[in-house]
This record gives sequence, C-alpha cells and structure tokens, in this order.
Amino acid sequence: MREILRVDMSTLTVSREVLPEKWKRYGGRALTSAIVFTEVPADADPKGPLNKLVIAPGLLGGTSAPNGGRLSIGAKSPLTGGLKESNSGGTAAHALGKMGIAAIVIQGEPTDKTVAYVLRLFPDGKVDIVARHDLKGLGTYETVAVARGIEAAEHRFSEKVSFIVNGPVGEMGMESAGIAITDPHGYPNRFAGRGGLGAVMGSKGIKLIAIFEEGLKGTEHADKDAFIAGVRKFAGALTTHAVTGQALPTYGTQVLTNIINEAGGYPTRNFSSGQFEGVEGLSGETMREITLERGGNVKHGCHAGCVIQCSRYYVDEDGHYITKGPEYESVWALGADCGIGDMDTVAALDRKCGDIGIDTIEAGVMIGVYMASGRIAFGDGEAAMAVLDEIGHGTELGKIFGAGAEAVGLHFGVKNIPVVKHQGLPAYDPRPIQGIGVTYATSTQGADHTAGYTITSNVLAVGGTVDPLKPEGQAALSQGLQIATAMLDSLGFCIFVAFAVLDMPEAFEAIYEMAEAHTGDPWDADALTRLGKETLTYERLFNAHAGFTKADDRLPKFFLEEPLAPHDVVFTVTDEELDSVHDFVAATAAQLGIE
Amino acid sequence: MRVDVALFAHLTPFQPDGEGGRHARTFDLAEGATIADVIVALELPDEPRVIFVNSRHAAEEQALSEGDRLAIFPPVAGG
Repeated sequence: MREILRVDMSTLTVSREVLPEKWKRYGGRALTSAIVFTEVPADADPKGPLNKLVIAPGLLGGTSAPNGGRLSIGAKSPLTGGLKESNSGGTAAHALGKMGIAAIVIQGEPTDKTVAYVLRLFPDGKVDIVARHDLKGLGTYETVAVARGIEAAEHRFSEKVSFIVNGPVGEMGMESAGIAITDPHGYPNRFAGRGGLGAVMGSKGIKLIAIFEEGLKGTEHADKDAFIAGVRKFAGALTTHAVTGQALPTYGTQVLTNIINEAGGYPTRNFSSGQFEGVEGLSGETMREITLERGGNVKHGCHAGCVIQCSRYYVDEDGHYITKGPEYESVWALGADCGIGDMDTVAALDRKCGDIGIDTIEAGVMIGVYMASGRIAFGDGEAAMAVLDEIGHGTELGKIFGAGAEAVGLHFGVKNIPVVKHQGLPAYDPRPIQGIGVTYATSTQGADHTAGYTITSNVLAVGGTVDPLKPEGQAALSQGLQIATAMLDSLGFCIFVAFAVLDMPEAFEAIYEMAEAHTGDPWDADALTRLGKETLTYERLFNAHAGFTKADDRLPKFFLEEPLAPHDVVFTVTDEELDSVHDFVAATAAQLGIE
Repeated sequence: MRVDVALFAHLTPFQPDGEGGRHARTFDLAEGATIADVIVALELPDEPRVIFVNSRHAAEEQALSEGDRLAIFPPVAGG
C-alpha cells in the first residue's frame, strides 16, 4: 500500500498515512494537484505556513516502465498564484516509488527561519530532519558536494543517493526559483523549474532532501508477466518512432532550434521577431558538433529506464563539464530571446541559472524584457551574466530580477511583457503557431508549452497536421493535448513518449496495459482520459477559488495587435474558443463530487 | 530557375557539395520543378519529412518558383 509521508516543519515531525482509497489511481501530477486542491486554502500565502509542497513520483514510479521515472512537485505557486505542477527528470522519482511513497507532503513552517534543514529518507524506512548550517546559501553544485561529504563522514553515505536541492534563489524566496534534482551521475542539473516552487521549499526551511537508495528493490506488480509484456511493447514503439528513436537521442531537445526558426516562430529579442539571424550558432546540430569536438557525452538518459536518451553534457574547450547540454528552451531563453548567438555564453548562463536555482525560461524571458527596457543591450552576454549575479547575491536590484519577467517589465516600464498568469512565455511565438497560443492562454499552469504541446501537429507533423498560421482547429488540438499530458504527468512518463503515442496506437495501448498489470486495477483508454481530465479539474477549480477568471485565459494584447515577421500575423483564435478548452471541467467535477 | 535549398539534422550530409552545414546552397532547377524532384536528385532517405518553402509548410508535389527557399527536415521533435 502506497503511503503519504507527511513532514511538518512547524513541529519538525514526520508521520505516515496510507494513501486514501479515493486517490489510489493517482500518482505524479494527479496526486500533487489533488492534495494541493484538498489541503491548501486557495487564498493561502504561497510562501506562508498554509501552503504545502507536495513531491510525488508517478503511478508507475519505482517500476521498469520505460521513461516512467519523472517527478512531480506541486504547490500554490508564488509566481502564478495558481495551482502549480512542476515536473522533472533525475533519479528521485524511482527512489521514492521503490520506497512505496506516493507523495511527500511538506507543511507548516519552521519557527527558526534562519536554519537550513535537510530531510533524509533511508532505505529501511527511517526518516529524519537535521539542521545543516554549512549548506545554507550554497549553490546547488556545492550543496551536493558538501552534503555527500557530510553523509560520508557520518557513515550514512552510499553511492546510490538522490538529492532534491534548493538553491539560494529559493532560499531567498524569489518567485522565479526552481528546484534541482540530481541526475544519474549526481549532478544537480535536472529541474522542476517553472512557477517558483523553490521559494515554497525555501519558506519551509528545507535546503535539501536526501533519498538513500542502497538495496531498494523495484516495486511488485499485480501481474509481472503482463507488465513485462507491456514494457517490451512500449519500448519497441519508442525505439521505432523516428523522433524518439533517432532525432531526440542524436540532438536532444535542441533539435528544434532550426525547425522552429524556419517556421518563423522562434521568438527573438523579447518576441519582436520570429527568426533569429544568429540561429546557426545556437542550433542542436552546432551544439552536437561542438560537444563531439571537445569530447563531451552526447547521449544519455536522465533516469533509469529511459530509452529515448535525449540528454547530453556540455563541456568547455578542455572537455570539462560545464552544464547539462542546455535544452531547447534554455538555449532560446538565454540566447535568441536575448539576442545572444553564442553557445558558450549560453552554456555559462545555463550553468549559473542551475547553480543559483532559477528557472532558465523565466530568467531568459526576464533578461529579454530588461534588455527591451534599454538598460542593457540585446546580445550583451556579460550584462546578462551580471543580472544573474545580482540575483544570486540577493541585492535589492537582484530581488526585482528574481521576481520574474512581469515584475521587471512593470518596474522598468516595458510595453511588451510576454507572460500569461504572470509566468514568462516559452520558446514558441503564438502568432505564427496559434495552437501553442491556446495552450499558453488557457493552461492552468500559466504560459506553459509542455502542458499542451501543439507544436506536434502545428509544426512537426506528429499526430497529424493543423496549420499553425490559422485559428481553425487549435482549441480542440490544445484541449486534447492538455488532457493527454496531464495523464502522462500523473503516470510518471516523460512527455516525450507522446511523440510515439500520437503516431502509434500500440504505444497508447501499452500505457494502460502497464498500468493495469502493475496495479491490478482495470485500466483502458477511457480511464487514461479520465485521469487527465480529473487532474486538470482540480487545478482549474483551485485557480477559480484563488480568483482566476476568463480574463486570465488571454494572451497579452501585443500578440493580438503587433504582427510578427516573417509571416506578419497576429493571434486570432477567438475568446469563445479559448473559453471552450476546459468545457469538460463541470462534468468531471460533478463526478468527483468536488467544486 | 534558382532555388536555395537547406538541409537539417541528419539530412545535413546530403548536400551535394559534401561540406555539411545548414547553410542553404543555390540549386539551378528546370522551370516547373517540384520539391519531389529535388528530393529525388538529393537521394534523401525514404522517411517522413517536414518541408518548408519560404517558412511555410509545403507538400512534396508543390512546384517551386524562382528565388524560393526550400528547407527540408527529417522527423524531429523536442520540448
């Protein structure tokens, strides 16, 4: 029976409870959203004692389900003010799954706000909270290094440990703070980046969560043979599909840079153009060539059981690790959106973001807005790094920067501020790619690309085609993908499995076959859809209670008024269509008995 | 007629000058030549493609015009 591990920071005590029967089909995002909906008052101060930080592996976490080891972290977001789920790779999810932990719920707040606490989970089930003064304020990389040293000295250290790390930006309570998770090599370079959850973790006084995995076994299945059959079927689909089997392993997410730029949707210099003249310096092909020349690793998975292996490490000219191979989003945000076209500059900025613990997307969009104010120039990599330094040092100016793109835009009087629900837009302009505009506007998560990744059909011809330049079909496309994504996020799957799932029916079948074989409960296509709809329903209702209205489901006006080159188009999906995207919520809420 | 052709990801090596790279090369094509004609001439692998002409999606049957930019991608995606 899976358990909730409850950590009360007001009393510094830990308790366990069996996962309620009503939530037995939930894991990952479904569970974090259900818990936040149920236990956090919608008007709670996100950095106060009534907010809760919920950390959950997917329903299939701890199993050998291919690409099934993603981690969900949920809370009321200090950035959006809504119900946030932030998702990450790394090794923590499978470790928690093997421990039989459905979710860690961190609540209350410490009496002494100056202490840096470490929460430790041991393979024998013991859990403790210890004060670690020497970790306070350290960057994420140094935190991990020092923590390993401490644990080794205490003879508690084993090679197999996952760390969930808060950087100084989160400790200082800034709204753009993310949470780092260690990868299979122990680097804290996987990120639950969006929505400022590092500030929530900081408000709970937790600097680090250490999960010791030595001797943990995979969880048991209701029907082991059927589970293994499902695994083989799913892995076969993933390795066969051209995207998951070839493009992503070879170039990583950065494979997108050239195609999004070619399509005219690559936001350049604070969303002022859809193509960047310096794109070749940032492309996935170029990044791969540089890395191979320097002897860096160009292919690995961010968690055990990943068959897509889209990750890589970026190295300097001497072959030394700088950062995880920056993702498409990070390269865009810290690169083209800032008018910067040099991979080494972008990699250094990416490393800095990871070390101080700030979301690369929010950081890049924020710096692009700051550049649009004229106080620093587009293309000035040194000035961009100086901005991150201010944030890391917690200066008064740094705190404005750390509050995110909208705060900076308002403070410095910038006209075009690209945010929805106060969260910075990701790496696709909604004017020539209208489907993603629908997702940005309507997602419960704010401007979020993964929430309903219409780029699949709008640009990449995966799962069909929907003309990106026209409003027709975009709302339906976004709705379907938002539901499917919430489902994948709840099972613990990396959303890149969607590329295979959208094109290959056997991949979709394998998902519910694995769910049924593992849990022993009936799972089919309808059950998967219901899981996605229920997850979104908790989020949507919470946001409504928190004061969100239709007005929050809209893009900033400049996307409707200022045509974007090269296509000279604006966003034209109607308000009525945007308001139709969550039309399933009322019925789903009634079925769940919530409101 | 002259058309610029750019190839990406693992199609990069199929540029006839053998130099690799994503920069466009100028091809001299017969009037009325289609995208399919270019694909055949380049001997691109038989797999799905994403094709743009002047930054808009295009089908292989489409005829090209003087000054067009043709960009061809293999199946790619990310996040």
